[in-house]
Amino acid sequence: MKLNYSLGESFNVASVDSVIIYFGQKISESVAKDVRSAFYALKNAKIESITELVPSYTSIMVTYNFLKISHKDICKKIDEVLRVVDKSCSENRARLISIPVYYGLEVGLDLQKLSKIKNRSIDEIISLHVDKEYFVYVIGFSPGFPYMGEVDPILATSRLANPRAKVPKGSVGIADNQTAIYPQSSPGGWQILGRTPIELFDTSYDGFSYLKVGDRVKFKQVNKKQFLELGGKL
Amino acid sequence: MSGGFEVIQAGIQASIQDLGRIGLTQIGVSRAGALDEFAFHHANKLLGNKYGSNMLEILLGGVKLKAKRATTFILTGAKVDATINNKPIEIWKTYKIDDGDILNLGFATCGVRVYLAVKDGFNIEQKYGSCSVNIKEKLGGKQLQAKEFLPFTCNCLSDNRKLPNKYLQNYDKLLIMRVVAGYQWDMFNHEEREKFFNTLYRVTGQNDRMGYRLSGDKIVSTCKGIISEPIAYGSVQIPTHGEPIVLLKERQTIGGYPKIGAVIPVDCFRLAQAKQDTHVKFKLVSLDMARDINIEFYKFFKEF
Repeated sequence: MKLNYSLGESFNVASVDSVIIYFGQKISESVAKDVRSAFYALKNAKIESITELVPSYTSIMVTYNFLKISHKDICKKIDEVLRVVDKSCSENRARLISIPVYYGLEVGLDLQKLSKIKNRSIDEIISLHVDKEYFVYVIGFSPGFPYMGEVDPILATSRLANPRAKVPKGSVGIADNQTAIYPQSSPGGWQILGRTPIELFDTSYDGFSYLKVGDRVKFKQVNKKQFLELGGKL
Repeated sequence: MSGGFEVIQAGIQASIQDLGRIGLTQIGVSRAGALDEFAFHHANKLLGNKYGSNMLEILLGGVKLKAKRATTFILTGAKVDATINNKPIEIWKTYKIDDGDILNLGFATCGVRVYLAVKDGFNIEQKYGSCSVNIKEKLGGKQLQAKEFLPFTCNCLSDNRKLPNKYLQNYDKLLIMRVVAGYQWDMFNHEEREKFFNTLYRVTGQNDRMGYRLSGDKIVSTCKGIISEPIAYGSVQIPTHGEPIVLLKERQTIGGYPKIGAVIPVDCFRLAQAKQDTHVKFKLVSLDMARDINIEFYKFFKEF
């Protein structure tokens, strides 16, 4: 199966050194798969003069050394790579990663409130979050921050009206139909369900980020003792 | 032999910068790096440093340093009253500083960012491929602190070098920012585009290493928000309030506001020296022209 894009229509100038390629107009797993296939194909092609490849929900931005190559020539090179991508073969390579989460009330800052709003027990809320497998759409906003989707419709909740000045490091939250983990403590408005002891951004990882675009993620509930043993901090 | 600067006063916000981190935008790390590459590259060139060697980027001044052993250094960028042992020195000119000498910077009177470079750069370890400090993410180090020590290898030039006056820029002048059309250009109709390019905008107080918010005529697009996508350097974002924000090197990596295009790098360098209330105007240029202007800039500093 070929990628859904065309050289004339999908390639847009982003700046003097960047071009953005669109693979669809809506967020969906199928568009995300196209993005992922194209991203890894371009990465493996190691086109000289490409300095950044940034995937997002429906697009990839390619930044290149514009001193060496023109917009027209880089688009041609990108097209040469994408034209031969067969997206069905790259799918098997998606990793499935299990992430331990402690869903205690002292770290799941919005658990009780969500349980009330949704009229479900706290255990049911946790099950809804743990039972689904998520797809990493984007890593952005801050270093190593993964946007994952989609959460169960029952669980989907908009961001806090008043964002927190400080969301603790490792916090696992939801916003609309997305779920994410805060790799560092930072201001933020996601509804927090629990906390993971896993470091998401560290020099010891190949590529510095624990998760990569296209990974599949499953959360695994752990108790307080296990959370602390794994290095978690309350 | 190694020496260094002992920080007596750290100023408002000073940080070590080189050309930033390359290749990590895909995991949410913005590039960071020196905001005014004009001042940055000239400093390295006059010192005979390797292209892209690190230096201090100092917001507004107010920094006081004591030399431990000798080096040759230069100040470039914003105009600031500077002294060595209370004796005035010029900016855009190299000087030798000796063991025990005190280098003192007043506050900028034209431009906002001062660059302080030493021969061969500071001996600072790279983190994630760069020495640049990302102030917002607290990545790669911290902003300069009092009592900190900035190590350098003692290496002095035998002569003083100075940038010829013809190259000097007036950072207070009306700034024309050349823009290439891009991204959601089609979501701005003819009238809105005309308004965008005819308005005299003003730099607001909301400006930092992430971006500069401007004030002036409000621009409306047909778009009510877009799916979050990667943001290029210089992108001119038009949020719902309609006033443009030009995004610089410490910008967020992705975002969901429409963008009418992007300011070309050499003009982003100038914007980073604009103080509040400076007037700016946008001017449309073709992609080819934008490329030529930037090539002209870079080929002065680097072979490629």
